[in-house]
Amino acid sequence: MKFDIHVHSCLSPCASLEMAPSEIVKRAVESGMDGLALTDHQSARNTPAFAECARRAGLACLFGLEVQTAEEVHTVALFDTTEQALAMTEWVYAAMPRRVNDPETFGDQPVVTWDDDIVEMEWRILAMGCRRSIPETSAKVAELGGLYIAAHIDRPNFSVLSGLGAIPDGCFDAVEISRTADACKWLPKAAGYAAVRSSDAHNLDDVARVWTEADLAEFSVAGLKAAFIAKATTLSPPLTTF
Amino acid sequence: MTFEELTAKVNGTVVVDNPGAEINFAYSGDLLSDVMGHCGDESVLITIQNHLNAIAVCTLAGIEAIVVCQGRPVPDDMKAAAEREGVGIVTTPLPQFAAAIALAELKPSVR
Repeated sequence: MKFDIHVHSCLSPCASLEMAPSEIVKRAVESGMDGLALTDHQSARNTPAFAECARRAGLACLFGLEVQTAEEVHTVALFDTTEQALAMTEWVYAAMPRRVNDPETFGDQPVVTWDDDIVEMEWRILAMGCRRSIPETSAKVAELGGLYIAAHIDRPNFSVLSGLGAIPDGCFDAVEISRTADACKWLPKAAGYAAVRSSDAHNLDDVARVWTEADLAEFSVAGLKAAFIAKATTLSPPLTTF
Repeated sequence: MTFEELTAKVNGTVVVDNPGAEINFAYSGDLLSDVMGHCGDESVLITIQNHLNAIAVCTLAGIEAIVVCQGRPVPDDMKAAAEREGVGIVTTPLPQFAAAIALAELKPSVR
């Protein structure tokens, strides 16, 4: 089973406005993905639209968000249901700066429907971190029944290695290697965690350009967790050019 | 202190110019949430945070210039945003503490 479990929609201020959930799902199906997860910065508010698009396309999916923690480390939380992902969002929102987003500065943050209508513009600054630490966030994800992945550990900004120098024990289910990184170089730094490769797509052309493969009973939190514990994931080759 | 004086004091290289900017305060930090919460206007930010989001924080806080330390490279998207938003960028081989000492005549930025 091939899956891309870190993808942004138009709700993320830094993502392209072409990233409607409908278009993302279409692109993933065309690319031969068996599973897809939507993970916007600090928010799962576009996951209900994404769920409906995936249901119509018959694509298995998970729902999540990329939590920027108090350490300013990017981490991906994944859930089986939109309800769990939205509960996680509320918990993150409660610890975010109460400052209103300036779209001119950070970008637009539209919450959309499955058929591409804009419901409203999210007012919080989703580009900023929240006051929840990695251990707190890890515990909350576990309480809600999700998976917790350290995002793009190879990046020089906003990664657990750039921010903390090492990957904390016992906090994550897996670590993510980004699309151009050499897995041979970074896996030894993964502190024994299972690895995934995800697109972290911010525009349509990047959706499912890289992926992770595993023999899963089902594309679900439990299915992925079993593969992570067994370290039974295979990463797609890295991209050599953007 | 002018942008030009600041550049000379940190032995810096101008990546994005901000001619005529008047800089009276300084703040040092790499956590952007902390910078946004505490750094005020007419200021320079001394940091290793060579990311696009640093420019967005400068725009919100009224920061006139960034000194990117440790010789870190400035990505193209960060440079383009700084040009658009009128934020000066200087790179320096100095670490943050040495850059702060070099700019010690500025007052600490408080918000």
